[in-house]
Amino acid sequence: MTDFHRLLRILSDAGVDFVIVGGFAGTLHGSAIPTRDLDVVYSRKPENMDRLTEALAPHSPYLRGAPPGLPFRWDRETVAKGLNFTLITDLGAIDLLGEIVGGGDFAALLPHAITVTIFGVPCRCLGLEKLIEVKRAAGRPRDIQAVAELEALLEERGRAG
Amino acid sequence: MDDLIAALKRDVDRTLLRENLRLSPERRARELMALLEAAEEFQRAGHAHRGEL
Repeated sequence: MTDFHRLLRILSDAGVDFVIVGGFAGTLHGSAIPTRDLDVVYSRKPENMDRLTEALAPHSPYLRGAPPGLPFRWDRETVAKGLNFTLITDLGAIDLLGEIVGGGDFAALLPHAITVTIFGVPCRCLGLEKLIEVKRAAGRPRDIQAVAELEALLEERGRAG
Repeated sequence: MDDLIAALKRDVDRTLLRENLRLSPERRARELMALLEAAEEFQRAGHAHRGEL
């Protein structure tokens, strides 16, 4: 099971710049659709990639769904050469995204992020309106389902004041 | 796509959303983790029942 608490804690303690997106962002806003992984958009600045690789290194990151034994090396060079990483760690599943469809990169998402304190950790989370926008842009069947729920959530939030 | 979303929206259980909106983000996160833990427990029990463990 993904330990959202510890994953967020280690990223935060390491000073990694990231924005929570995807299903867990939906959960934080009040979505009832469960998710099993943590999706974050991380800053691609060199110093941030250093912090990210160092923070996750002790937790055995490996490509999720890949057969064991592939020559995957988790280091700054790998992160710099790639963009989006779908990983499994000993703390669970985490997707590290350099950018997302409909939202762009960390810097582009930052103005649309809100700060939420969870498990005592202040984290940036994509705002509900922007989350709906990026899920619409992603356009996969599960995203469409999520958009319907998130739009209903937005309406309910408006009613609740 | 808008028509599809509108149709799906009609099936959304808004009582769950209203309940969640009353909780703090932290509580929502904790409830998700409790749900996932229960799901894993059920899965383990299912495997054990089928003699797979």
